[in-house]
Amino acid sequence: MSDSILLKVDSIGFSINQNRLFHNLSFNLKKGKALHIKGNNGSGKSSLIRILLGITPAGKGSILWNKNTDICFLGHKNVLKNYLTLSDNLYIHGIDSNESKTKDILADLGLIKRLDTIVGNLSYGQQKKLALIRIFLNQAKVIILDEPCVGLDDSTRILTTKFLSSELKKNKSIIYTSHIPIDIDSETITLGGNQV
Amino acid sequence: MKLIFVEFFKLKMKLRAWLGPILIFLLIIISFPLTVELSSEALNDVFYSILWIASLLTIMVSVESIFLEDYEDGYLEYFYVANNSLFSLIFTKILIYWILIGIPISCLGTFFSINMSDDISSLNIALPSLLISTYIFINLFALGNSLSLNKGSALGALITIPLLFPILILLGKIVLNANFGFEISNLLLLMLGVLLLIIVFIPFIISFIIKTHLE
Repeated sequence: MSDSILLKVDSIGFSINQNRLFHNLSFNLKKGKALHIKGNNGSGKSSLIRILLGITPAGKGSILWNKNTDICFLGHKNVLKNYLTLSDNLYIHGIDSNESKTKDILADLGLIKRLDTIVGNLSYGQQKKLALIRIFLNQAKVIILDEPCVGLDDSTRILTTKFLSSELKKNKSIIYTSHIPIDIDSETITLGGNQV
Repeated sequence: MKLIFVEFFKLKMKLRAWLGPILIFLLIIISFPLTVELSSEALNDVFYSILWIASLLTIMVSVESIFLEDYEDGYLEYFYVANNSLFSLIFTKILIYWILIGIPISCLGTFFSINMSDDISSLNIALPSLLISTYIFINLFALGNSLSLNKGSALGALITIPLLFPILILLGKIVLNANFGFEISNLLLLMLGVLLLIIVFIPFIISFIIKTHLE
């Protein structure tokens, strides 16, 4: 596999309870490129992401990641501890809330004054913002996002789009699913019925 | 090393998860002598049994949701994606539960057994056997709970209970030997050997089971 290709997916298929979600699906992910997985509810977008991450095994075909490709992933679950404060949640993800870069992002997201708030007391949108900080501060080569904009206000959606655009310029690669449009240059895979 | 700090922090901040079981242990140990009419000699004879059963129940309660919260909030998935393995997380979680619950229970149990027998040599029986047995109990109950992680079924308990019997029999033998003045170090070494096997294999088995749940 050439160095410019981070992921090579070849003829994978997936079914749940004999309901075929997709089959014979092949695509590559190149450095500095984004891939938008589109499809209706239940078309297998999240399943495809879980297959790519190695959480769920594919029914057939092969998935080949380039060596030393580290991945940063944000799925439907925010990976937050409801009984901990905002700064404690950052700590368990290895993020220092006193660093200037973290403080800037917290200020941009309107969370800087909520550092000592218990996460269980934050709204869903605020929790989603907090989960996004982990993505904003990551150093991984590949970012995988499953519906990252659900529950976010307009300003945070714009901030997310800007961040993703800047990451692409840094030669990072992105795979995402989103029903809410994200304005970045990306190739599209559409899942739906038996058609790919 | 960072993982140990993070897991320690996560459990430490959840007071109910570790202080609650310790209080349950204290309650059983203190309330038992108050609720039965036994002579001090008879109580002395059965005290170790109470100690083992109290530690067993305490560990069972404390380990009940050892993986559940991490499973529900996506932490297990997150960890698996980042590390491509769950072994280190499972191993560390069990270790931290032992540090925050197993060790305090062992120390409290030893304290009560010395008080009960008025004999400092109880330290040599109670402390090592409690330290080893609580670590074994945590591993076995964690295995059981991983089996019924997202199902809330009794499967985990059903599988765990038979695995506990040999350990309880071994603990009984230790007390019996100690009461007759026989050597107990060989039995403690046997328990230690069991523990060493369990430390290595149980986290592997649990990580495989949890990976299956994540799929």
